[in-house]
Amino acid sequence: MSQTSTIDDVPVRATSARHVRRKSNRVRGTLPVLVLFLPPALLVFTVFVILPMGEAAWYSFYNWNGYGLPTEWIGTKNYEIIFRNGAFRQALINNGLIIAVSILIQIPLALWIATMVTHRIKGAVAFRLLFFLPYVLADVAAGMIWRFVYDGQFGLVAGIFNAFGMNAPFWLADKQVAFYAVLGVIVWKYFGFHMMLFVAGLQGVDKSVLEAADIDGATGWQKFYRVTLPMLGSTVRLSVFFAVIGSLQLFDMIMPLTGGGPSNSTQTLVTFLYSFGVMRMQVGFGSAVGVVLFVICVVLAFSYKRIFMKND
Amino acid sequence: MSGLELRNIAKNYGAVSVIKGINLTVADGEFVALVGPSGCGKSTILRMVAGLEDITDGDILIGEKVVNELTPRERNIAMVFQSYALYPHMTVYQNMAFNLELSGKSKAEIETRVQEAARMLELEPLLDRKPSQLSGGQRQRVAMGRAVVRAPAVFLFDEPLSNLDAKLRVQMRGEIKALHKKVGVTSIYVTHDQVEAMTLADRVVVLNRGVIQQEGSPMELYRRPANLFVAGFIGSPAMNFFEATIAGGAAQATNGLRFPFVAERQLVDGHKVVVGVRPEHFASGDGAMEGEVTFVEPTGGQTFVTLDLAGHQTMVLVSSDEDIFAGNRLSVSAPLERTYVFDAETGVRLSAN
Repeated sequence: MSQTSTIDDVPVRATSARHVRRKSNRVRGTLPVLVLFLPPALLVFTVFVILPMGEAAWYSFYNWNGYGLPTEWIGTKNYEIIFRNGAFRQALINNGLIIAVSILIQIPLALWIATMVTHRIKGAVAFRLLFFLPYVLADVAAGMIWRFVYDGQFGLVAGIFNAFGMNAPFWLADKQVAFYAVLGVIVWKYFGFHMMLFVAGLQGVDKSVLEAADIDGATGWQKFYRVTLPMLGSTVRLSVFFAVIGSLQLFDMIMPLTGGGPSNSTQTLVTFLYSFGVMRMQVGFGSAVGVVLFVICVVLAFSYKRIFMKND
Repeated sequence: MSGLELRNIAKNYGAVSVIKGINLTVADGEFVALVGPSGCGKSTILRMVAGLEDITDGDILIGEKVVNELTPRERNIAMVFQSYALYPHMTVYQNMAFNLELSGKSKAEIETRVQEAARMLELEPLLDRKPSQLSGGQRQRVAMGRAVVRAPAVFLFDEPLSNLDAKLRVQMRGEIKALHKKVGVTSIYVTHDQVEAMTLADRVVVLNRGVIQQEGSPMELYRRPANLFVAGFIGSPAMNFFEATIAGGAAQATNGLRFPFVAERQLVDGHKVVVGVRPEHFASGDGAMEGEVTFVEPTGGQTFVTLDLAGHQTMVLVSSDEDIFAGNRLSVSAPLERTYVFDAETGVRLSAN
């Protein structure tokens, strides 16, 4: 075997040596920046994010009411209770339903209305504002308002039923119907936000591309389905992402509306955490619910981003 | 294939009238360029022909059929947009096949027609690419391919070369001309670039403020401009103008400049006129007028010389063989048959040529 190098690999070696040198230069150059700027951010992130999360995970292995120090180690019992708990299962189903309704009803509705209020029609801006208003409203206020609307004695629903000479239902008190009533409020409250995302997306669509589709012979629906919608792909994916994450965080509106009742039929994961963990002074159990919720959120968010938003 | 006719077309936006009664007939297979400055209404006319814009008054006929009420897709036209308007999520093949697909053509026919158009425009290696992976010139060719593939009655081009650099523009200009020769479809080409209009079209229509100023073959417009606007718009570099008064059968400008010309009819002394002489028509050397060279722009074959002719900044085109520098004195003359005279008030040409 000869020790001499061929003509071909000389430049390769030279290049890689240069590459290594350049890389080490870069590291030397960024080191002071790292030393100066990383510690404050790392400290804040550790103190306010990592530590509380670690602490919650630690508490989840205790039977602890929040007073004094946690001493009663119970292993994974809290987790076992969670997965045996009917209310938790209901909360999981409800969150799934919210996601389904968001994707199947809320987002298509938002897209449909967005296509209408993006055109230069008279009053388009006023309509946009009108549809966006519920989103601006505080969640708690929206919950309160709809609690009155749904009230079977004094509410708007009661008024409508009475006007037709019928007995008004108490939807929020009926565990078969309550969650559907809540879903209605969710769609009402948040579709304006998704509509605004789509309005922004639609405004970015080149008008001449739609005119080209007109000339190419596309009907209104074909134009929407074959041209507009694919061009809005990244907005739709972002909108679904927000809907999924938003559903997992839903809390403030449910509490004044139903408080998770009747019979836990309108619990979501966060209201379940609050009702069973905080209200009942079961901090250990609540922490376990928090950990489960965190894992669900992280898994959903990361896998969604990795699968659907990898090109966005 | 079929011709096109515009009968007294008008367009108003509220109280503002942007197109004021346009009459135009385009013969079957003819290539007509609409040219004019920004806001003259040329794109509006094209969009009205396409059906993208409603007409306020008049009739549009494609192949002797009134199409006023027809939607764009029912008019059997193809349009090439300034921004190319390609579908960004579709490949080149899908872009070209979209219309055929929508009109329910069989897969085999779509394949044949797309491949044929791709061959014609040398797009074959690009068929699987998305528009974002193409250069400006390639995108423009795809936009033309999309138009060609459907074999329309009329081709509409809306400033298709404006987004390209100068060199590519010249190349694409040649390709558009070659394409028209090959497919022979009636074409309307809108541009603000008079060079583009003159090199491409069989007939050029000059528009200003929604009114046709003149229509004719490129050389007709160049040689016999109907009015001051056309004279100033057609030709590059632009015609020189001198305000003057008729005196003794010639046009007398300020500071003693005198332009003899061939009048179409007898003009009375004192008539206010504008004299026009193209830079390339000035004969340099022994001339009747002399001035100081203020600016020299060599372009290779020719040199643009700006001359201070008795206070009038005048552009003269001279051969690059002559060495001329700023500060030199140059004498020039305007040939009788190349001196245009226009009415100062109406802008109408008064000279015989």
